[in-house]
Amino acid sequence: MKDQISVAFVGNPNCGKTTLFNAYTGANLKVANWPGVTVEKKEGSATYKGSKLKLIDLPGIYSLTSYSIEEKVSRQCIMSDDVDVIINIVDASSMERNLYLTMQLLELRKPVILALNMMDIVEERGMELDLHRLPEMLGGIPVVPVSARKRTGLDVLLHAVIHHYQEGPAEHVVTYDDNIEDKIAKLEVVIKARYPDAANLRWHAIKLLEYDEEVMKHHPVDVTAIIDRNYEKDIINQKYDYIEEVIEDCLFYKKEKLASTDRIDEVLTHRIWGIPIFLGIMALVFFLTFTVGDFLKGGFEVALGWFSVTVSNLLSGLHAAGWMNSLIVDGIIAGVGGILTFLPNIFILFLALAILEDSGYMARVAYVMDGIMGKAGLSGKAFLPMILGFGCTVPAVMATRALEHEGDRKKTILVTPFMSCSARLPIYVLFADIFFEDYAMLAAFSLYVIGVVLAILIALLSNRIFKGKSSNSLLIELPEYKSPNARTIAVYVWEKVKDYLSKAGTTIFIASIVIWFVLNFGTTGMVSDISMSFGASIGRFLVPVLAPAGLGLWQIGVALISGLSAKEVVVSSFAVLFGISNVNSAAGMMQMSEALGAYGFGPLNAYALMIFCLLYTPCMATIATIRKETNSTRWTIGMVIFQLLIAWIGAVLVYQIGSLFM
Amino acid sequence: MRLYDGAIGQSYQVVDLGLEDNITRRLESLGINEGTRVEIFNKKRNGAVIIKVRGTRWAIGKQVAKGIDVKEIAQ
Repeated sequence: MKDQISVAFVGNPNCGKTTLFNAYTGANLKVANWPGVTVEKKEGSATYKGSKLKLIDLPGIYSLTSYSIEEKVSRQCIMSDDVDVIINIVDASSMERNLYLTMQLLELRKPVILALNMMDIVEERGMELDLHRLPEMLGGIPVVPVSARKRTGLDVLLHAVIHHYQEGPAEHVVTYDDNIEDKIAKLEVVIKARYPDAANLRWHAIKLLEYDEEVMKHHPVDVTAIIDRNYEKDIINQKYDYIEEVIEDCLFYKKEKLASTDRIDEVLTHRIWGIPIFLGIMALVFFLTFTVGDFLKGGFEVALGWFSVTVSNLLSGLHAAGWMNSLIVDGIIAGVGGILTFLPNIFILFLALAILEDSGYMARVAYVMDGIMGKAGLSGKAFLPMILGFGCTVPAVMATRALEHEGDRKKTILVTPFMSCSARLPIYVLFADIFFEDYAMLAAFSLYVIGVVLAILIALLSNRIFKGKSSNSLLIELPEYKSPNARTIAVYVWEKVKDYLSKAGTTIFIASIVIWFVLNFGTTGMVSDISMSFGASIGRFLVPVLAPAGLGLWQIGVALISGLSAKEVVVSSFAVLFGISNVNSAAGMMQMSEALGAYGFGPLNAYALMIFCLLYTPCMATIATIRKETNSTRWTIGMVIFQLLIAWIGAVLVYQIGSLFM
Repeated sequence: MRLYDGAIGQSYQVVDLGLEDNITRRLESLGINEGTRVEIFNKKRNGAVIIKVRGTRWAIGKQVAKGIDVKEIAQ
């Protein structure tokens, strides 16, 4: 026995592969109810009765052909020798479509174990599956009912893996018509002669008949005498013919019930109400983020205020050096602590997004938005990464992998950063609260709307300018609605909160120290007047550029530069710059308002600042991700310049036009 | 007629797929082939449709819906 068996999780999108993977490995990979959540291959390990297993979670695929990036990732992995066993996870409530991939996997002649997930839905719908006949019709491979969510059947599945990891299907399952079978037989001889080591002749022959690009490129055989045309269509159809037989033999409808999903869809995907309902839902998400978040925030502020004073007293009590006290209290606590008080808002935002993603509504948004996105030459599917952008730009950019066309992908990556991410939230909460009082929520909400509208406009414009081939070929599965799973939501939100806390502990912590340093030291050493500091010199450099946007203060220059490390740092910079220990409290806001007011900085300047923060480069992590995903340094640099330019133009327009009226 | 011209609630049978090769193959591997029964669940003015095929719901864009030739199934 090998010392480690490697097992790949293969199946259609949204059939529960990652849920199962998490259940075995204790990982907390993101799970949600829309097709295409997993875009990367992930590995983990498990042991079962002393056997070590390497588990590989793959992006969902509908077939072994390779259209999109995710499909290529999965196919390459499955075909490689690294995979000993395939666990084919099948959504039992959509057997007919799921079995197509199964048929292709069986042709690989690798050991396949079928995991039947979502059996509870099958029962709910009044259907029954013949679990004896099904394996018979699938070449005798083991078929194990599991529930990834309820964690049942997991041991049985691993048991099957250990015991069948060397057995493939007994014989080929789908027999094609005589003409094709004849050609397969002839091709097998030719392939055998050309590649004596070829492990799977039948599969190779079938792929040649389908004109499979990769097989023809990597294992070319001269077969012009045998293959007169592309047989892909025939092969697909005949696989489905066989699947229909399987369904007829194994699946019984006791009574057919109208799925509640269809009734919900009558409302949510309504031809007229679809878009207003979507806008309403998003408005509700942000309303909750601001109101409930602000409501919860109070406790955090009191705690931070107490902590700040206690530490300061403690340090003076210990006769710590003045600079030490200043670094800890004015630098670290003001910078990091200030950010922590926004945690309730962040928490509510991600909670709302998690519920949205797990309900099944996301895929409907692709349909609802398809018309508008179509005008920008994109399919409605491109809107999904954009929604994720409300949470964090980094995973949103990665989610564009689900788009089939490279041009669509680049365009979506270009506009996704304009969707206002959670890191920009503290800036809005703070500045809107200080300068717009009763209209704070309206001001903040307007920024979200401007972000979305601008993203769509830019996509529209780039479509006009670059006249790219408009693919506009929406094709997305609409999953069943389900009530969000508490565990899934808890894991999702906890992961995001953890990210936020660790960002506060790392990036923001370091940025706060650096900012404190550049503000307290100058060419002459430690300075008592911060206008003599390094920071002031750097910031002054930007003053002429930012002045037309009403942002001509060196402090703002410093805050915006440091905001490139992470957008929250804009807020911590202001806290450190103006020496405000508890920036998000009423007293802190008052202090900030007075400090800025002394420079003539009013609501219009604040709005220009928020616009600039909405539009300029989100953060270093985003730049790195975009570089990785586009694989082009030139494109990435061009994008950063574009964002800075758009931000500057936007802020200048707001300030100049606003000045005419105020 | 094309799927694009179909009516909500009506069932059709696919007669021909007249799209770019890669989209056609994709549809076929999803189980939308000649002879497959398709039910239109919902439709928008711009032509995107929601259909049910082999027990699965799909949202399909205008261009794709225009490329699928269907005939009505008597109910």
